[in-house]
Amino acid sequence: MNFLELFDQDLIGSVLRSLIPILLAALGGMIAERAGIFNIGLEGMILVGAFAGVAASFFTHSWLLGVIVAMIAGALFSLILGYGAVYRKGDPIVLAVAMNILAVGMTSFLLVAIFNVQGVFQDPGIVGIPVWRIPILADIPWIGELFALTPLGYLALLLVPALWIVLFRTPLGLRLRGVGERPLAAATMGVDPQRYQLGAVIVSGALAGLGGAQLALGNVVQFTENMSAGRGWIAVVAVMLARAHPVGVLGAALLFGFADAIGFRLQSFGLPQQLTDAGPYVVTLIVLVLLSKRFRKTREAALA
Amino acid sequence: MNAARTAGRWLSGPIPVSVVLALLIGACFMIIAGVDPVSGYVAMVQGSFGTGSGLANTLARAVPIIGIGIAIAIAFRAGVLNLGTEGQAGLGALTGGIVAVYMPGPAILVVPLALIVAIATGAAWGLISALLQNLLGVPILLSTLLLNYPARYFSSWLIRFQLNDPSTDLVATQQLRPEVQLGMLVPKDAAFADTLRSTFGPTSPITAVLTGVNWSIVVLIIVIAGAVFVNRRTRFGFESGLSGQNAEFVRYGGVKPGPLVTRTMALSGGLAGLFGVMLIIGAPSTRLIEGYFVQTNYAFTALLVTLLALYRPIGTAIAGLFFAAIMVGSDAMGRELGLSPQIAAVIQALVIVLLAFRVALPRFRRRGAGGAGGADADAEASTSDPVGGPPLSEQTLAEPHAPVPGAPQAAPTATGAETKESDR
Repeated sequence: MNFLELFDQDLIGSVLRSLIPILLAALGGMIAERAGIFNIGLEGMILVGAFAGVAASFFTHSWLLGVIVAMIAGALFSLILGYGAVYRKGDPIVLAVAMNILAVGMTSFLLVAIFNVQGVFQDPGIVGIPVWRIPILADIPWIGELFALTPLGYLALLLVPALWIVLFRTPLGLRLRGVGERPLAAATMGVDPQRYQLGAVIVSGALAGLGGAQLALGNVVQFTENMSAGRGWIAVVAVMLARAHPVGVLGAALLFGFADAIGFRLQSFGLPQQLTDAGPYVVTLIVLVLLSKRFRKTREAALA
Repeated sequence: MNAARTAGRWLSGPIPVSVVLALLIGACFMIIAGVDPVSGYVAMVQGSFGTGSGLANTLARAVPIIGIGIAIAIAFRAGVLNLGTEGQAGLGALTGGIVAVYMPGPAILVVPLALIVAIATGAAWGLISALLQNLLGVPILLSTLLLNYPARYFSSWLIRFQLNDPSTDLVATQQLRPEVQLGMLVPKDAAFADTLRSTFGPTSPITAVLTGVNWSIVVLIIVIAGAVFVNRRTRFGFESGLSGQNAEFVRYGGVKPGPLVTRTMALSGGLAGLFGVMLIIGAPSTRLIEGYFVQTNYAFTALLVTLLALYRPIGTAIAGLFFAAIMVGSDAMGRELGLSPQIAAVIQALVIVLLAFRVALPRFRRRGAGGAGGADADAEASTSDPVGGPPLSEQTLAEPHAPVPGAPQAAPTATGAETKESDR
C-alpha cells in the first residue's frame, strides 16, 4: 500500500471535520482558563450540546434551532461549574468530573426516556447542518475545502482571530485576563471578578455546546451514547498546550484533527478501528511529552 | 442527648442533604420519563436490598467499586490526581485474565500468578504517569486520563482479533477452567450450602449473600484494613496525607515529592489492577469479554465514591455500598419500568455536584448564645470543606498553564475564598 495515498485533497476535508468540534470546545476552555477557572468539564458540555441539538432539530426540523438550543443547553449545563466554582467555592475539578459523568448519565437516560432507543438515535426527522459552499473559492484545489464548511465551521475558524482581538485588544479582554491573573488587582479597579468568571464559564459552555452541535448535526446526523468520546479532554489538553492563546489553540486542535483524520484513513488500509481510535490520544500524550518544557512550571509546582 | 444532637447535626449537614436533593432531582428525571417516582424508588430499594439476591448483587457490585475507590483514595489523599484507574484496572484485568485463561498448571499457582501479573500491570501503567510527571512535568491528571483510551482500545483489539473464541456469540476469550475461578464464599453445591438453605431458607439474605458473593470480598476487607493501617500507622500514610493537604510543608519537612508520587501511583495502579482482574476471574464471570470493564463503568463510579467519602477507607466502603445499591437498584428499576439504568449515574453525579456546592440546611442557632453560632459555623467549615478543600488544590493544576509565565495563578481561589467564606 502506498502511504502517499493518505495525503490527498479529501484528507484536508476530514481534518477540518475532526478539528471543528475540538476547536470550538477548546476556544471555550481557553476563555474560562483566561478568567482563572480550570474547565475540564468540556467533555460533558459537548455531550449535552450534542444531545440537545439533535433533540431540538428532531422536534423542530430546523438545524438552526438545533444549533441554538445546543448552545443554550451547553451554557445552562456549564452553570453547574460556574455557580459551583465561583459562588460556592467548590473545587472546579471535582465539579467538572461529576459533570462529565452526569452528562453521560443524563443524555443516555433521556435518550431512552424521550426517544425510546438505546445507544444510537437516528431519524430522517433530524435535520443536519448544511454545508455552505462559497462559489468559486470552494473549487480551488486543496484550499477549496476551507470554503466548503458548515456555518459552525466558519464560525470556529473566524473565532480564532476574533477572540484574539477581544482578549488582547479590547477593555473586555483586558479585564477578563486581569480577573484570571490578578483578581485582587482587578477588583481594586472596580471589576467584579466573580461576574467575569461566571460569564467566562457560561461562554465556554456555549462554545462547547456548539462543538457538540457540529459533532452530532454536522459531522454525522445522529446522537450516539457518549459520542464526545474524549474530545473534550483533548480540548483541555489543547488549551494547556497553547497556554490559552487562540492561535496556539488552533494549532493544537489542528494537530489532533490531523491525527484523527489519519487514523480514519488508515482504517481503509485495513488497520483495525480499535488501534486507529487510540491515535489522537496517543498523539496528545506524545505532544504533551515533547512540549513538556511548557510544563516545567507544573513540575516545580508539583515538587514544591 | 448529645449523641442525638451530633446525629441531628450530621443529618442537616452536606452529605445527607446532598443525597436527598439528588434523589429529588432524580425523581424529576423519572417524571420526564413518564414514570411515577415513588414506584421507581420502591423498585430501586426492592432490587438492591429488598431480596436476598438483590443484596448479594449489591455486595458483589460494591467490591470492585470500593476496591478501585480505595486505589483512587490512596492517590487523591496524597494529592496525586489519578483519573486513570479505568486503564490500570482494565489492563490488569486483561493480563491477569490471560494468565488465568491460558496458563496450564495447578490453580494454586495460576491464581496467585494471575493476581500478581494484574497488580504488576496496573502498577506499571500507573507508573508511566508518575514518571512523566516527575521527569517531564506532564500533569498526572491528564496523562492518567489520556492513558485510559489506549488501554481501552488495545484490550478491545486484543480480545476481538487475537483471543476471540469463535464458539460463542460474545466477542470474548474461551472460558476459564472452573478451578481457576474465585469461587463463591460458599459454593452452591457444597454441603454447607444445603445446611444454610435448610436453616435460613433458600432465599434468605444470609444464604443468598454467602452463595452469591465471591472471595474477592475477603480480599477487599483485607485491603480496607490495610489502607486504614497504612494511613494511621505508617510513615508513608502520614507523609502522603500531609502531602495532599500541603505539599510545600511536606517538602520543608524533608520528604522528596518525586518518590512519593512514584510510590503512590504504583500502589494505586496495582490495587486497581488487582480489583480489575478479580472481576474477570471471580464467579460468576468466566471469561474476558470485549468492553466489559468499560461498559460497567466501575472506575468512574469509584471516583465519585471516593470524592463522596473524602478519601477515607471506611467512608469509601460505606459510600461504595450506597452507590452499588443505586446501580443495582437502577438496573432493577430499568428492567421493571423500561427506563435506562443510567439514572444511577445521574443520581450519583448529582450527589457529588451538590456536595461540592456545600448544600446544607440552615443552622438553627441556640437562643441567646451568640458565641455558639460562631462555633457552629467553624465546626461546619471543618466538616464540609474537604470536597472543595485542599487535597485538590488549584495550585498544582492552575500553575502550569499560567498565561503569563510566573504570574501567580493560585490567587483567584485564595482571594475568592476569603471574600466568600463568611456567607455560610
